[in-house]
Amino acid sequence: MRRRLVQEPERTEINVSPLIDMVFILLIFFIVATSFVNEVGITPKHKDTASSSNNLEEPLAFDLPASGQLLQNGMSIGIEQVAPLVRSNPGEKAPSVLVRVSPGARAGLATQVMDQAMLGGAQAVKLSPLAQ
Amino acid sequence: MRSRSRNIENTEADAINVSPLIDVVFILLIFFIVSATFVTLPGIEVTRPQAVTGKALEKNAVIFALSGKNEIKYAGSSVQLEEIPGLVEQASKDKGKPVVIQVDQWADASILAKIVAQARKKSAVVSIATRKPRT
Repeated sequence: MRRRLVQEPERTEINVSPLIDMVFILLIFFIVATSFVNEVGITPKHKDTASSSNNLEEPLAFDLPASGQLLQNGMSIGIEQVAPLVRSNPGEKAPSVLVRVSPGARAGLATQVMDQAMLGGAQAVKLSPLAQ
Repeated sequence: MRSRSRNIENTEADAINVSPLIDVVFILLIFFIVSATFVTLPGIEVTRPQAVTGKALEKNAVIFALSGKNEIKYAGSSVQLEEIPGLVEQASKDKGKPVVIQVDQWADASILAKIVAQARKKSAVVSIATRKPRT
């Protein structure tokens, strides 16, 4: 009689196995559904042409023809010259940069030009496609 | 036969205490629920251009990819340039999600420029995915 009374609370334990099963299924679902995208990138800030009424100056333009060169004001320059050119731009402190790309130019080069322009402190970088 | 039934009795007698296991599993579960963002990946791997000013981008973004063969990819399928504003609007559901473009460095820059222009119609922040240059 006494022995039975002692054993009573042990026998009425809640069975947790279905709970564990459920939690494991949820856990596996969320592990599979989670995609750890850690993307690094550049975000060229872009001003709308309508809002920049106070800025009538020509932006600093770089041209990327299909030949793979980088032209500034008609002259071929190297990628490492972009940042100094942006930094030493006369007039405005932080110039806007326009990157004009022709069909056939490489996206890698265009991205690097934008990257270098932002390194040089450009306030806005715009990528614009040129028609043939 | 007899020995087997005794074995079962034995295991019932000294059952493993599962409470710490449940605790740990719950913590893992909560971690994965909180960190789940459910982004739609474009489904192709591209060689990102190098950039020194690259910063970590928002994880919860609408991601497009431009392959080296100049195909625009979204959620595993090819899309046309004109479909991009609609797709951005659909995916961002008035929450103003940023757009990330994964571009192959050998892709055509004029197509990239057109994608950026299309995405800007519906999203204020459009980023280009890059990779850190090797030092």
